[in-house]
Amino acid sequence: MEFIAILLSVVLVNNLVFQGFLGICPFLGVSRKVDMAFGMGCAVTFVITMAGAITWIIMHLILHPIAGNMFGDKLALNFLQYVAFIMVIASMVQLVEMYLKKFFPPLYTSLGVFLPLITTNCAILGACLYIYMKPETQSFLNALTYAFGGGIGFMIAIVIMAGIREHLLFSDVPKPFRGAGITLLVAGILALAFTGFTGIGK
Amino acid sequence: MAAETGNLEQFKTGILDNNPVLVQLLGMCPALAVTNSVENALVMGGAATFVVVMSNLITSLLRNLIKPHVRILIFTLTIATFVTIADLFLKAYLFKVSQAIGAFIPLIIVNCMIICRAEVVAIKNGVGKSLADAFGIGIGFTLSLLTLGIIREILGSGTFLNYQVLPKTVWDTHAWIIMILPPGAFLTLGVVVGVVNYMRERGKVGA
Repeated sequence: MEFIAILLSVVLVNNLVFQGFLGICPFLGVSRKVDMAFGMGCAVTFVITMAGAITWIIMHLILHPIAGNMFGDKLALNFLQYVAFIMVIASMVQLVEMYLKKFFPPLYTSLGVFLPLITTNCAILGACLYIYMKPETQSFLNALTYAFGGGIGFMIAIVIMAGIREHLLFSDVPKPFRGAGITLLVAGILALAFTGFTGIGK
Repeated sequence: MAAETGNLEQFKTGILDNNPVLVQLLGMCPALAVTNSVENALVMGGAATFVVVMSNLITSLLRNLIKPHVRILIFTLTIATFVTIADLFLKAYLFKVSQAIGAFIPLIIVNCMIICRAEVVAIKNGVGKSLADAFGIGIGFTLSLLTLGIIREILGSGTFLNYQVLPKTVWDTHAWIIMILPPGAFLTLGVVVGVVNYMRERGKVGA
């Protein structure tokens, strides 16, 4: 039950994009076509899950200040948290990049510069930081569920957005609002819809 | 290349023509997340300015030593170091605001605006130009955050820097709560970006 609660909470109620403002840059940049958005969502989900698991291990077994690390030392290395996390994320992204280049070359070329930029997708670092901050994600499996749900939430958001933007191409938008302006307004209305989920769970 | 534009030009372009949030659409996450009050917007702008100035300074000093294929890694590690400093400083001296901003201070690390400045300017130019650019970008970022913060705080809570500016009796019962909630952020930024585009178009036609 706990897993379902965490999953629903992070996918719908506290969606990283609409409620947490994380990952806005790829959300605006890669949401022109549905298939590209889906590929991006998959890549982010993979990176976020792996990074969530690895940073949990790093934080709880090596840097954690209270319980003592795996060598039994009580190192107060909390200040290394950000540097360690960003290293993990950068190497995970490198891994995904190499994998896609070898096995899915068309997706690799269509994502282009946005693929290495997953490193700077704040949804990933944000999810890893929230896992460490929230009381309910302190156990490993809960943390993994939260990270996976965060990725799925991002994927849902970006795919919905891409679907709407494909239709926006045929509408007559006032010139100054073309591009970013109208996308942000649509995102605002979507966020309004997602606010409706607030009643579910915690 | 370096002689083409002066330091002053480089400083000004960051504030107006290349404004990171409103024109280049970089660093959108903090621009949306922390602008529900003017105070948060100011602190966020200050922290980001400090980080972009220091990272441009270090990158510019190291530009002849950095090998091209590891440069992104070096940038992120430099930025992460200064973000840690800014985060500890805010926790020590501005605890309340730091709690309100929460995870968005560490998230300066992945703010594309800062990496973009290191990649576009600092890695190719001397210290003077890099610093001028960083100050311009930092101030441009702060100003755009401030614009959003002012609009959202006044409409959402009827206050400015926690002082009541709109009639309290009306705003206690009819406040636009939506403005300080997430959807308000998207809508405000969308409208501001549209208005800025309109003004830039008009400026071009006039000139």
